[in-house]
Amino acid sequence: MASIVDPDEELVRRVGQGDPAAIQAMVARKLPRMLALAQRMLGDPVEAEDVAQEAMLRAWKQAPRWRPGKAKFDTWLHRVGLNLCYDRLRRRREVPTETPPDRPDDGPAPDRGLLAAELGVRVDAALRRLPERQREAIVLCHYQELSNIEAADLMQISVEALESLLSRGRRALRQTLADMAPNAERRGAEG
Amino acid sequence: MTTMNAERLKQLAEAYGADKRRWPEAERKAAEALMASDGPWADRVLFEARQTDAALDASARPMISNALRDRVIASAMAAGLSPRKARLVWDRLVLWFGAGWAAAACAGVIAGASLTPHLTADAQADAVLYQSSLSGVDDTEVLG
Repeated sequence: MASIVDPDEELVRRVGQGDPAAIQAMVARKLPRMLALAQRMLGDPVEAEDVAQEAMLRAWKQAPRWRPGKAKFDTWLHRVGLNLCYDRLRRRREVPTETPPDRPDDGPAPDRGLLAAELGVRVDAALRRLPERQREAIVLCHYQELSNIEAADLMQISVEALESLLSRGRRALRQTLADMAPNAERRGAEG
Repeated sequence: MTTMNAERLKQLAEAYGADKRRWPEAERKAAEALMASDGPWADRVLFEARQTDAALDASARPMISNALRDRVIASAMAAGLSPRKARLVWDRLVLWFGAGWAAAACAGVIAGASLTPHLTADAQADAVLYQSSLSGVDDTEVLG
């Protein structure tokens, strides 16, 4: 098997030796990614912080015994983060809550337009309403910018299945957010 | 490998969006060549994908609080990661070398101590033999 080129290899080695500068660099590099992953998978900032912190703790424990060449550290860390998210999502299904975790979508505001922040809130709400696997595919490929092979591997599906989830997820998002770009459909049809 | 044609290009845009950096690396060049050969059609294919990308990008990236960053850094220490660990390896090496030198020195002392009586006895025997070989004249000279 060909050895994998890992951009984090040297940093992980230094973290494993307890180098304080490397620990700081690892936090700067990976904590935002883990928090973004968890936030978009769970839609809950408090739970997302817990997951990100736990994922980083596991990274610290793994670093001294990390064996380079077998997998990318970032992919391994995503697997850890995703598994922590799955656990939380499973627990949510087992314990029905009185109020759904999704915040209601306030709908369009055609008269005043949407500020960027409001737009973001609506997109987040639309993401949360997507089926779990479609959301996961979009989060991994679009937001986390993993390659299709890495994302498919993490989700334990084929690349074809990943593409199907991505297409369906993006289509559903477009339909939910169609009112945000009233000219989009028309321009698309005209073009 | 998948053949690149109009249908596949549409599939790529629908799945990965309009940013070609997200497309499968193996198909990127062929897709770009196809798009270059028919610009307006490709623009139409990418238009919808670009709209969806823009909407997705409106989602704000979560901010890292100082409290979370501090907790995560502290957790590294709690997990046993500290420069001390690296120093311990060096300290252990120094200890082993030191122990080696000490053992060599002890061995030298013991060897010296055990050899000394033999050497002293030999020297004394030599002195006695030497003195016994001296003549009586000498004794008279010495004793008067």
